[in-house]
Formats: sequence, C-alpha cells, structure tokens
Amino acid sequence: MKVLEIKNVSKTYNESEIRVNAVNGVTLDFQEAEFAAIVGPSGSGKTTLLNLIGGLDNPTSGEIIIDGTNLSKLRSSELIDFRMRNIGFVFQAYNLIPVLTARENVEFIMSLQKWSRTDRDERTFELLKAVGLSDRADSRPAKMSGGQQQRIAVARALASRPKFVLADEPTANLDSKSASTLLEIMEKLNHEEEITFIFSTHDARVVKMAHRVITLEDGKVVSDDVRD
Amino acid sequence: MIFRTAWKNVWRNRVRSLVVITSVIVGVFAGVFSIALMNGLIAQRVNDALNEEISYIQITCKEFRINYDPKLIIDNPEETISTIKLTEGVTGISERILITGMANTAYKSTGVQIVGIDPDEEQKVLNLFSKIIPGTGDYFAGESESNLALIGEDLANELNIVRYSLDSAVLLSLKGKGLPDQVIDKLVRLKGKRFTNEKQFIKEMDDLFAGAESKKYGPVIRKEAWSFRRGTKFILTFIDKDNNQVGAAFRVTGLYDISNSVFEKSTVFVKSSDLEMLTGLSKSSFHEIVVKTDQPDQAESIANTLAVKLPDLEVLSWKKLQPELAMMTDMVQQFYLIFGMIILAALAFGIVNTMLMVVLERTRELGMLTAIGMNKKKVFSMIMLESVFLSLTGGIAGMIISIIVIRITANTGINLSQYAEGFNALGYSALVYPKITAGFFGITTVLIIITGVISSIYPAMKALKLNPVEAIRAE
Repeated sequence: MKVLEIKNVSKTYNESEIRVNAVNGVTLDFQEAEFAAIVGPSGSGKTTLLNLIGGLDNPTSGEIIIDGTNLSKLRSSELIDFRMRNIGFVFQAYNLIPVLTARENVEFIMSLQKWSRTDRDERTFELLKAVGLSDRADSRPAKMSGGQQQRIAVARALASRPKFVLADEPTANLDSKSASTLLEIMEKLNHEEEITFIFSTHDARVVKMAHRVITLEDGKVVSDDVRD
Repeated sequence: MIFRTAWKNVWRNRVRSLVVITSVIVGVFAGVFSIALMNGLIAQRVNDALNEEISYIQITCKEFRINYDPKLIIDNPEETISTIKLTEGVTGISERILITGMANTAYKSTGVQIVGIDPDEEQKVLNLFSKIIPGTGDYFAGESESNLALIGEDLANELNIVRYSLDSAVLLSLKGKGLPDQVIDKLVRLKGKRFTNEKQFIKEMDDLFAGAESKKYGPVIRKEAWSFRRGTKFILTFIDKDNNQVGAAFRVTGLYDISNSVFEKSTVFVKSSDLEMLTGLSKSSFHEIVVKTDQPDQAESIANTLAVKLPDLEVLSWKKLQPELAMMTDMVQQFYLIFGMIILAALAFGIVNTMLMVVLERTRELGMLTAIGMNKKKVFSMIMLESVFLSLTGGIAGMIISIIVIRITANTGINLSQYAEGFNALGYSALVYPKITAGFFGITTVLIIITGVISSIYPAMKALKLNPVEAIRAE
C-alpha cells in the first residue's frame, strides 16, 4: 500500500537573482514498511526533498500525497496537525527537549494528541523497551550519551504510529558502535511496527542496510535501486 | 505536558531566572509595602479625625458656619436630638456650644475655638478623654468646679505654660534609660534651670550637643524634662451673644495629645454650662450636634437621611467637612492601581528581555517542536506560560514577604518620630501601622498574571515567525 507519493516535485530558490533548483522534477512512491535511503553528494537536494516530504517546506511545483492527502491542499495549521499524526522525525542533532526526561520526551507527542494516561504509559514503555532504554526512562538527555539520545529520538518519532519516519543524517554525530546499534534498532522497528523509514544519509552502513537506495544528483533522481 | 514543560523551562537557566524572580520580588514587595504604608497613614488619619477631632457628622444652623455667630443656636434642640437618636446607624450624639476666642497667658496669646461640651455625652462620640497625658489631669471626671478647660499639649507649649527642667530625678531617670555618661555630664550644666518654652530648651540643648547627638537623645531628654502643673491658669476671651467682650480665667484640667498639632493648638474644651453662663446663652442652647455612626462608610448615607428629616439644619458628613480626607479615601484606590501598574510595567521590561533571550537560545528547539507537530497555539501557550510562571513565582514570593513584614509592622508600628513635627503639622501620627486588605492580594495576583501574559506577547510572536527548516539548522 502506498504511504507516500511524490509527483513531479520541484523546489526552486531565488538567491541573489540566481535561481537554484534544489529539487528538480522528482517523482517517487513509497510503500508501507519500506526502509529506504536517499543518497547523493552535498547539495544534491536530499535534505530539501526530506523537508518537502515532511511538509516543512512547500514545493514550487508538483504534489506530495501522504496516505491520500495532498499536502498542498492543507492550511498551515492543518499541515502542522497532519505532521504530528502522520510523520515522525529523527534529526541529525538529537533535538530532544532537555528539561524533560526520556519518558516525557517520548510521550510528548502523545500528550499533544491528547492520548489517555494509560495509553501513553503503555506505548512509552513499549517503545523504551524496543530501543533498549527502559532503565533510563527518568534520565534527562544531558545524562545520556549521543547514541542513547538518538534512540530516544527514534522512540519519540514512532510514538504516535506515524505513516513513515523521516531521518535526516541520524548517524552523523554518532560513533560507529552507537550508529550500528541505532540502525539495528531502526531496522527492527521497521519490521515490527511496519512503519516506513526514509533516510537522508552519507553513511555507508545505512546504505548497506537499506532495501531501497535512491540517488539524487543536482536535485534529480539518477537511480532508484530496490534490493531483495 | 505544556504546563510541565513550561515550568521546567523556567528553571533551565537557574541563575537568570532567579535574577528576574528576585527583581519581581523586590518590585512587588516595594509596591505592596508602600501601599500598605499609605493605607495605614490614611486609615489612621481618618480614624483620628473621626474619633478625636470632627466626628462623623456635624449638624448646625444653615448660616452658622459662615461667621460662627453665637446667636445662631439650633432651634428645638430636644426634638432635634430625639430625631437623630431614632435614626438607624447612629451610635452616639453630643451637643456643643462653639465660640471663637483667644487664649491668653502673661507670655502669649493665640486664637482658639472654644467648645462647650457635656463631658459625659462627649465621651460617647469622641475619645479625647483617652488622649490625656498622664499626670496632667483626668478629663472633667469628678470635677464639680467651674471654669475648667481641657487643652492640647501644643497649645500649652504655645502659651508657655509647660516647663522644662533638669533636676536630679530627671538626670537619674535619663541615666536609667541608657543615656551615655558624657551626655549626662553635659546636661548637668543645665541642672536647676527652668525653661518656660520648648524652643528655649531646644536651643540650649543644641548649644550643648552636636547635631547627631541632639537628634539621637533630644526627644527622650525633652520628654523626661517636660513638666506641667495641673490646674495652671490661663484666660479665655471672646464675644458673647450680645457682642460684648467677655473674659474669664480657666484652670487646665488636662492636656490632650493627639497627632494633629493644628487641632491641639486651636481647640479648647470647656463645660457647656460654664460657657452658657459666660456667653449669656440660655440653658440647653447649642450651636452644633456631633453624631457618631457605626462605620465611617455609613456617615454619608445617614447624613443624607438626617438632612431630609432636619430640613432647616445643615447636616454635613465628615467627607464634606474635610474634603481632603474624602479625596484621599476615594481617590487613593485609583492611585494605588496606577502606582502598581507602573511598578509592574517596569518589571515587565525585564521579563520581556529574558523571554527574548529564551526564544533566541531555543531557536533550534522551537523549530524542532514545530516540525514534530506542536502548533502555533501551543508554542505561544508554552512561552506565555513560562513568562507567567516567572512573574507569578516572583509575585507570590514578594506577596508572602510583604504579608510577613506588614503583619510584624502592623503590630509594632513604624516609628518615624524624627519627622514627628512635620507629620503632626499635617494631622498624621509619626507612628505608622501599615494596613492592607486580603482582597488587594487577589487584585495584585491578577495584575501579575496579566503582566506575565503581556510580557510574553512579543517574544512569542518572534517564536511563531521562526521557519522550522531554518530554525532546526540554527546554531
């Protein structure tokens, strides 16, 4: 089942009278439970494409349809709400809320969506266990390593069972061991939760693990390899 | 979760938050305590005026206050008194004769208002009897003699009928009060001398002591050296009902001491029976009836009721008798509000500055929150709550400190005796008891919350304008 359709999407920036085509006529579909990596050199448009998919930016042309909803038809407030319910984000810099504990960070989105206390606790426990940090539930981010923080970020991204998770260079700031652990967890969750993961990455380990590798160059898709 | 996050965010930078909170505490305390002080001053002034000077309501003939003509007495006094007594809310009345005259001694003369009273009735309305300086007399109690007068201590000073002297007993008493030996040694030079007025005595003291010493020890020395011989005579002269000049010797039956030196200098109380005889007025003739009510607030409405019942007389409540007092009590609430708002506005700038720094420092975090689905309303609410928590924490702490300090000083009073002369000249006591109502704190809390909300608007708008894509990438 398609969770994401990208139809001839372009994004053009006008910077100091120079037009920059950050994304140029990209058309892609993503199915449920895909584990896909978008690769390419710096400036190829990976992050821009991820921002467009996540509704953080508006395409200059084309459409992005998530689970049947065309993002361009949504008002700003509707888009924020849609993002909260349907898209999970894992950022390069872990971007946890530093004053909240691991538990509180994971349940943050669920509380925004007004989940009941019971449902929140159940889901939070489930996710902390899945990322192997049940014993750090009451620790604040400052008391955790970078790898642990990123695992909490993954748990948070999955909290409300989104249609897919966008991960922008999630391993860039991690040592190799932490990065490997993180990727194993994400792959496991991809199988267990059947949630699509879309990475923007330079990390060869991510590329190796991905079932699908999309290569961008100058804002265009130059290859789209699906592996068995 | 927004509440919890906002509260925790307040303590993210503890030092900065504590600085802001401390400034709010100081500002709130300063404002609340100042208002309590002013409240106490005004309340005391009103209380003193109503219970020691003018009472709650005064009733006279309509033209009497124009030139205080002694012939303008109240017609049908018994019927009038009966009507007043039957009016709801009236708790005491006293009938008076009012004559303008001069008080004279061999040393000085001064203009006074001579008030003829029935001492027993007068006690039900004014409590001057409780303000008599011990040892100077006992009101008119037990005195069957005629021509007795109750006068103010300041009038006695004015007429030079008090004495200041430093005998052995006084010097011993001063030593017992802890005055240093070198001060006592200097005072010995004045031993045996008698001064007939305060100014002379003060001048001698100033010659003996340096400025700081004089300020520090002067009041206690004056108090111990002061003496008054009960029964001292002075002359009252005035015009009787037939425009004849009349004079009579009176003996002082007590000196009263209140906070209003102008009143003390200008008002002499004598028995109305003595004044009737001297002025030629017939028995039970009165110029004025003073009325006491349950509460000061009731005086206006009761005065209006009496004005309808007594259409031939002029009925004035204390607010009409002393409009400056009325102005203070009526307008002071608006003044407090403006004063409070100025303080909070000043504090608001500090909070705005802090919240702007907060938004700047958390640009990436705010971008992330918007990215993961926190809508504008919630982002605004979170920042607004942080601002409200900051101001409310400081505000509540400031109010608690204010309550404690006000409670203590409401019992002990704040001694401003070094400014006593100035205070008394305006009718105020130099011992001030701060006073504040519980309702005031409710209003203050609301104002503090409003301050927090308003302070958050600009920083929150800045946060809402952040582009999540750019914000997430911010350093």
